[in-house]
Amino acid sequence: MAKMALDLSQNKYSEVSFEEKEKLFEEAKSDGRWEHILNGCYECGICVAACPSARFYDFSPRVIAQAVAREDVDLVYTLMNDSIWDCSQCFSCDRCPRQNSPGQIITVLREVAVRNGLQTAKKALEGYGRIIYKIMSTGSQVSPDMLQPDAFPDWGKHVHEISANLEVWRKALPPETMHTIETGWNVDDKTIIELYLIWHMTGVMDLIEGIDEGLFMILVDVMEERLEEAGYDVAFD
Amino acid sequence: MRVNDDGTVTIGMTDIAQSLAGPVLHAKAKKVGVVRKKGRPIATVESGKWVGPVKCPVSGEIVEVNEKLVSDAHLLNRSPYQEGWVIKMRPSNLDEDIEDLLTGEAAVEAYRAKIENDGVTCTHIEGSDEY
Repeated sequence: MAKMALDLSQNKYSEVSFEEKEKLFEEAKSDGRWEHILNGCYECGICVAACPSARFYDFSPRVIAQAVAREDVDLVYTLMNDSIWDCSQCFSCDRCPRQNSPGQIITVLREVAVRNGLQTAKKALEGYGRIIYKIMSTGSQVSPDMLQPDAFPDWGKHVHEISANLEVWRKALPPETMHTIETGWNVDDKTIIELYLIWHMTGVMDLIEGIDEGLFMILVDVMEERLEEAGYDVAFD
Repeated sequence: MRVNDDGTVTIGMTDIAQSLAGPVLHAKAKKVGVVRKKGRPIATVESGKWVGPVKCPVSGEIVEVNEKLVSDAHLLNRSPYQEGWVIKMRPSNLDEDIEDLLTGEAAVEAYRAKIENDGVTCTHIEGSDEY
């Protein structure tokens, strides 16, 4: 399989000031998890050997761990833009004998990228808008109506037939809660209200606003209306 | 957006927007009677790979919702400018709001430029032989 080469030339993001790159790196380092997920690196390569993404992309968890350990601010910025989104967050790299966790380092770097609205983060997350909308508005992650030929061509030719007759297929399932199309199952009212309140209280909606304003708008619309019906006076804006 | 003779405006998606969204699965409009400020969402549109708002370009009150979209959201793809309209709104401040919008030939030219710049291929729709 042809891999897209990762461009690690130091001047790739030369238009961004060193101070800006350093600020983002410091934000990552100030995270409470940081001291638990970065120790030192033997360069043994176990993380790369275990990493499924490394097999299919020009991606290396070891490069990530070493760049942050060396505090190479320019390189970390490049990786934060062009590499961390290739990680599948499976945490196979957690088998590191020094208890480094490149996967969790990437989690922190992704959060910094999202919080700071990096263009590459927006691009990487573009295709997930509908999934985020589904999870955050309904509380159920994957719904039958997501199985569409244009979104999942890799599911084969039968995806056409299945997506055209979803209601029939769903009625074939025995549990009553599963006869749904727009959600994976019937989601309890209490559950969804609690979820909305959690999104509100934890600042998740602020993150969404920075990444996708359209998505933020429609989520706010759904949540405010439902919360108001349930007797909560909550404003997201 | 189209301004109607009775003073209402009809709001929907453009051909370029429906082309980018792909086959539309759900188009959920806000209810009749809802008052919205310019730029706020009046409907949520979901396709296989995208979800986003339809925003109102002017402020006003929703007076009619296209019920056909509830059972057949694909109408938005097949006929965005005619059968697949989303809502009708009674604008509260049309004269002022419309000043920020391009209309007529100027709108067509700006849209043509956007389509060319973004490299979008619009799907063929009824009522338009332009693209």
